[in-house]
Amino acid sequence: MPLTMPSGLLGFERFKQWRLISDPNQAPFFWLQVVEDPSLTFLLVPPATIAPTYKPDVPAEDAAALGLADPADAVLLNIVTLNANAPATVNLKGPIVINRRTLAGKQVIPLNAAEYSVRHPLPAAG
Amino acid sequence: MLILARKVGENVVVDGRIVVKVLRLDGDGVKLGIEAPAEVSIHRQEVYDEIQRTNQQAVVSERPRVPKLNAVTSGTTGLS
Repeated sequence: MPLTMPSGLLGFERFKQWRLISDPNQAPFFWLQVVEDPSLTFLLVPPATIAPTYKPDVPAEDAAALGLADPADAVLLNIVTLNANAPATVNLKGPIVINRRTLAGKQVIPLNAAEYSVRHPLPAAG
Repeated sequence: MLILARKVGENVVVDGRIVVKVLRLDGDGVKLGIEAPAEVSIHRQEVYDEIQRTNQQAVVSERPRVPKLNAVTSGTTGLS
């Protein structure tokens, strides 16, 4: 599905049009891809599946920028880093917040970002 | 780089809509207040740099196999 990120992703601000891809065989993961350059792809995971107590405090101005009137419309996804010689990690410090009604998204820095790591271990099976 | 000398209580206006206020000096630290429209994102540089670096390390050029996950909950997003 198309996802617009008017302020982009940190370090990738110039790309506004993204594609969010879910493959049932790869649930619960999603792929986030730059429309104009599919070689720029990120793996995303819903944090509830890996860190049940995760509660990023989204700044009000970010919620407003996304037109989030109802917190229930917010979807959280976090970027996974597939490390070459180490287990995968998840960035809990910079979550992507998506308004599920408008499919607008933004990578936000939560007010409580200091509580979270950019390299939270992914609880791997086995 | 523009360099301006300011005293506590004095401000700088950027682009006619962003006001940076020097609130207090504290040793070698300074407390700034920033008033800006909601769409202007403001971060401490080190947090911004850390997230930006992590994004650059996370980008992949194709879709590799996803990790096997010992999921805590099934986690529904409402996105299909």
